Amino acid sequence: MKPQMITLHINGRTHYVALNPNLTLLVALRDLGYTDVKCGCEKGDCGACAVFLNGVAVNSCLVLAWQADEAEILTAAGLGTSEHPHPLQTAFSDAGAIQCGYCTPGMIISAKALLDQKPHPTDAEIRDAISGNLCRCTGYAQIIQAVQSAAEKMDAGGEG
Amino acid sequence: MEKQNFQVVGHVTPRKDGVARVTGQEKYTVDMTLPRMLYGRTVCSPYAHARIISVDTTAAEAMGAIVLTFKDIPQIRYNERIITVEWALHKDHYILADKVRRMGEPVVAVAAETEELAEKAARAVKVEYEPLRVLVDPIEAMKPGAEPLYETVMYGDKEIKVVNNIACTREVIEGDVDKAFAESDVFVEGTFKTHKIYHAQMEPKSVLCHPEPDGGITVWATTQSIHNTRIVLGQIFDIPLSKINVKRMAVGGTFGSSIQMNSVVPIGVALALKARRPVRLTLTREEDMHDHGRFGTDAHLKIGAKKDGTLTGIEMEMTADLGAHIIQGYSFLGVSIGWVVSLYRLPNVRYKGVGVYTNKAPGCAMQGYGNPQATLAVESLLDELAEKLGMDPLVLRLKNYVGLGMTFWGQGPMVRSIVWSDGVPELLGKGQEIIGWDRRENPNTKSGRFRRGIGLGRGFHTTSAGAPQPGDVIDFSGALVKVNQDGSVDVVSAMVDHGGGTWEAIAKLVAETLCVPLDKVNVVPSDTFSTGYDVCTHATRGTYAGGGAAVKVAEQVKKEIFETAAHYLNVQPDALKLRMDHEQDQAVIYVPSIPDKKMTLKQLASRTWSESWKTIAAVDSYRPTNCPPAYVTIFLEIEVDTWTGAVRTLRTALGVDCGTVVNPDGAVGQLEGGLSRGLGMALYEDNEWDNQGQLLSKGYWVDAKTPGIMESPALKDLNTHFADTYEPTGPFGAKGIGEAALNPVPAAYANAIYNAIGIRFYELPITPEKILGALMEQENIVKEGVH
Repeated sequence: MKPQMITLHINGRTHYVALNPNLTLLVALRDLGYTDVKCGCEKGDCGACAVFLNGVAVNSCLVLAWQADEAEILTAAGLGTSEHPHPLQTAFSDAGAIQCGYCTPGMIISAKALLDQKPHPTDAEIRDAISGNLCRCTGYAQIIQAVQSAAEKMDAGGEG
Repeated sequence: MEKQNFQVVGHVTPRKDGVARVTGQEKYTVDMTLPRMLYGRTVCSPYAHARIISVDTTAAEAMGAIVLTFKDIPQIRYNERIITVEWALHKDHYILADKVRRMGEPVVAVAAETEELAEKAARAVKVEYEPLRVLVDPIEAMKPGAEPLYETVMYGDKEIKVVNNIACTREVIEGDVDKAFAESDVFVEGTFKTHKIYHAQMEPKSVLCHPEPDGGITVWATTQSIHNTRIVLGQIFDIPLSKINVKRMAVGGTFGSSIQMNSVVPIGVALALKARRPVRLTLTREEDMHDHGRFGTDAHLKIGAKKDGTLTGIEMEMTADLGAHIIQGYSFLGVSIGWVVSLYRLPNVRYKGVGVYTNKAPGCAMQGYGNPQATLAVESLLDELAEKLGMDPLVLRLKNYVGLGMTFWGQGPMVRSIVWSDGVPELLGKGQEIIGWDRRENPNTKSGRFRRGIGLGRGFHTTSAGAPQPGDVIDFSGALVKVNQDGSVDVVSAMVDHGGGTWEAIAKLVAETLCVPLDKVNVVPSDTFSTGYDVCTHATRGTYAGGGAAVKVAEQVKKEIFETAAHYLNVQPDALKLRMDHEQDQAVIYVPSIPDKKMTLKQLASRTWSESWKTIAAVDSYRPTNCPPAYVTIFLEIEVDTWTGAVRTLRTALGVDCGTVVNPDGAVGQLEGGLSRGLGMALYEDNEWDNQGQLLSKGYWVDAKTPGIMESPALKDLNTHFADTYEPTGPFGAKGIGEAALNPVPAAYANAIYNAIGIRFYELPITPEKILGALMEQENIVKEGVH
């Protein structure tokens, strides 16, 4: 197996990398320093590694890096910064939806994927959208609340 | 001390590490890299019990991998958890297996330039095994003639023989049970079984090791105790502790799973020392599931009582499934009876606990450390007793619970403590009101497909393992507090935060003591080089003991602030006071009777700096002399679908008496998280092994049945509440919450399910299959009765 050149556009930055074709997008992203993409299970069980691939939320552990060649990738760190966090990030922090924080970046990606499609989600829609993400600390109730509160704020502020 | 109006403590404030966590900037051990770092992998046994006949590493070495086999490692048996004192510590294993005792046990370790090459090298290692009979059932394992896991183990510094795979036993006798039972009017008894479930912490256990030129080593590790990790490494590798530095990291949840030095840590260190290069080693999720789990228990309890409901005594026998290594089995046997006799006044006790080796994941502490198992048994039996006596279960509990002024066992028979604050009546009263206890009907009045039930579980957890005298558990913390030149404050502490907000609590307590605005007080990154000893973030001790240490030291700093300011202001130090000035965003030192005699902390600290005098700082250790109970009451209303056996949680009332609430939103989060993990333990989670010691989940998280968002009740139905109490021995009146939040949850489910369908379950998890099976049996009995 020989490394192949691929191009990854991550959070607005372009990387040309030589990777073996059997490497997952998760490994590629983390090796490039995008450690906000968390590795939880590498089996698609926990959702901690979720990223946007051309606008669609995927578990990056279930995608081969070469499949993302030339794709636009957005990670949780690309959604917002310390100075300008995304409304979802603010809501997670304010609603007590984080404890250890390890599942949070993946949760926020899944939540944004939902709000992109449904700006006014119901409780059931939020649960459905987050059902691929595990959190062991919080018990999820505050996560649901955070998504609802972000949806309200984004609606009011015209963001999103 | 009494209740006060606090300026910071008890206020909802934005979490300091919130932004870092939501934007993915927080670094966990698994995120750390170093230049020229090698990737470690272990060769894991495909058998659960086997002798190692031969190991051939030629092919792996030919790939350029650094390879470590049993003969390359220090020939020292160790125990990775040293919270227990040396003389009561069993040591049974090496950092790589001398013989395989569980599936996935590391036999050989490799390190290579890439993760891929490391994996290839690990697969190229040839190990010849002689499989042995696998023992997954502790009762089978104890039978004479069963294949022994160990011939001998170390106990303290003595080598002892292991007979019938029994790792340890513990007996406790208090009062006279026979006499108490002879004088009792009524008895309840039952055998309760709980399984070895998986911690399911989100962050996979990891270590990064950097060998230093002086022969020392720097270690980034997933751990709840940086100092204990350092001490064990020093013992194994015979390196002075002054050359071992363990970094305190953010941790992606633990729930007890990193109370010990993790198995990857010494393997990573050995690889790095051999390679003379940095090495990172991370468990895969499947390896992690084989690496640790809750203790499985099989306990028989018999409780006697008088006609009026007064409990007289208890007889209890328990078998604990320790798994392949003894990590903290002996103390587990002690605390298990401790939880029981601390729930209710049981003056006469006869207890025997046995810890047994099996070829499964080693048991270690998991939220509650035997307490949810004990509480399930006791709270189920109390409900049965109430029914027998025709009493309200609530009244029976109030009559017998261990409350104000009474002695309880904080961490087993050797850690005894007095209750100084008690919110139990308040919690029961409020919870009863929220859930509508008066609506609770007899199960035989219910019919139809969906049947609702209301249940109560009451429990507690000890806050720290503090006591007036030393026992078999080490418990103290340290802190260094220093005032910076701009009046801000650094708190240097070895205490780890698992994610629950311990650092936030410590910062708040110091800010409150020194009247410094919270954004100017930081719990700074630290390591074993820069901190005094802290035992571990376990036993619900973070805020109480770690916070207690920080407050003790901050009080010393306050004294020094007054003495130093007295010099500049030309007043007596005792005349000075501190206040938080929000306009100046500073602490102000002032004399109440002379308005112009004042200066900000910034002015003081910058003068002591620019005039070349000193840093205002203090460092000290703190040993709690008490370990107050954090009381929790869980009321549940659930609905059983008698067609599918599924249990739905409709409403809850989650109440805690944690003394002063330091982080109100964090405390709510603790209760809700405790409910979620307790719900998993009660209804779904069962890390099952087949008869060859293989996990049925095969390392798939979803198949280990960790609760997801679909199982979570809605926020509006959770109803969390706090008792209005003040713990006189705690920092600003605070106790803990952590483990207490989960302890009574499985019991509450068992009692609520009984109330719904009239069937009592004695084994967890109470799955839909078990419920349907029991309903069918119940139906058959009814039918047979008709014929």
